[in-house]
Amino acid sequence: MPATDPFDHDAALAACARGDRQALAQIYGLEGRYLLGVALRIVRQRQSAEDVLHDAFVSIWQRAGSFDPARGAGRGWIYSVVRHAALNWVRSHAREVPVDEEGQAALENEVALARHATQLDPAETRVDLGRLEACLERLEAERRECIVLAYLDGCSHGEIAQRTQKPLGTVKSWIQRGMRSLRECMA
Amino acid sequence: MNPNDTTPPSADDALDALAGDYVLGTLSATTRREVEARMRREPALREAVEAWEERLHPLVALAEPVEPSPALWRRIDASVSAAAAPRRTASRTGWWSSLQLWRGLAGAGFAAAALMAAVLVTRIEPAPATQFIVVLVAPQDKAPGWVVQAAADARRLSLTPLGSITVPSDKSLQFWTKADGWRGPVSLGLVTPGQTLQVPLDKLPPLEPNQLFELTLEPANGSPLDRPTGPIQFIGRAVKVL
Repeated sequence: MPATDPFDHDAALAACARGDRQALAQIYGLEGRYLLGVALRIVRQRQSAEDVLHDAFVSIWQRAGSFDPARGAGRGWIYSVVRHAALNWVRSHAREVPVDEEGQAALENEVALARHATQLDPAETRVDLGRLEACLERLEAERRECIVLAYLDGCSHGEIAQRTQKPLGTVKSWIQRGMRSLRECMA
Repeated sequence: MNPNDTTPPSADDALDALAGDYVLGTLSATTRREVEARMRREPALREAVEAWEERLHPLVALAEPVEPSPALWRRIDASVSAAAAPRRTASRTGWWSSLQLWRGLAGAGFAAAALMAAVLVTRIEPAPATQFIVVLVAPQDKAPGWVVQAAADARRLSLTPLGSITVPSDKSLQFWTKADGWRGPVSLGLVTPGQTLQVPLDKLPPLEPNQLFELTLEPANGSPLDRPTGPIQFIGRAVKVL
């Protein structure tokens, strides 16, 4: 997913809207594995994540005509369609939070991973998050973790509270304040 | 503690917080559905959601890529083919009207509209130097509603109505443009239905082929933001004529 990718997502969406199936195939060929990665982090079951990606691509095809390039980038629009399809799936399937020992260990690993992924040490950062990165770095670590667990792993407030072993109210207020700081920082 | 933490939240803050939570993904299934329904009729909420999508989008780069199984694309392709067939004959509203629109812009309908517009343009203003034409059509039925014409050297363009339309008294029509590569759309001003609008272009780069033009329905004094907030009424892309 190189930042300088010359692929024109806006043009590909316009082509989809004209009924050009090749354009949809191009989007899939370029973004499919990254989009499945995004869906799988949220859905956490391989088959369901593929189902979500299937539905999302049909949706992209059907809604391509409503994409308005004046209101945002095509690439972001495509990722939003997939993320919200995954979020809708996970919220309507009321994911059970595993509480057994093995599940708890897995969760702790995941929290550690999220922590690692958000440490954002310039020497270690694998990807460039641009302005967002600088703004995330200014947040307190626990607020940053909560935001990443929600956005990337599709965790609800309750799940984040369980994972981070913090009271629900604390998690909610961390997220609320973290989001407000992000908004100000990126204004 | 941040001093902002103690400021009582305004209605705007509440809307923005809801939009942020929607994009972040922490809302329940029920609330998510409510937000999605409200977005369709509340431009301010949709606008706030779009802003949050843009802010947080870079985070997707933290998800490790996962190779889809080879069967997945075949499934998608089959579903899309199955969905494509009835669309050609159906005349539903919604996204399909937009699809019709774009197909129309690309196909014969657009050529006919452009031809019609060209004839009309030469009648209205016999300037030989017209180099760009945009036919703005309604998303629902592709009916041409306005013509934009500009000479490449002249630093202005004109927006000419092709018919009469009515705008609710508490609303206005706002004219926008965006070329590929621009960060966002630029307002060209408010439009009075039935009247030709002349727009100086001295603050804009020269027109480009395929540049997007649209008229959106906005509050009486125009969009409160630096971009459209209301539904598209007419839309089209610039075509170079020589």
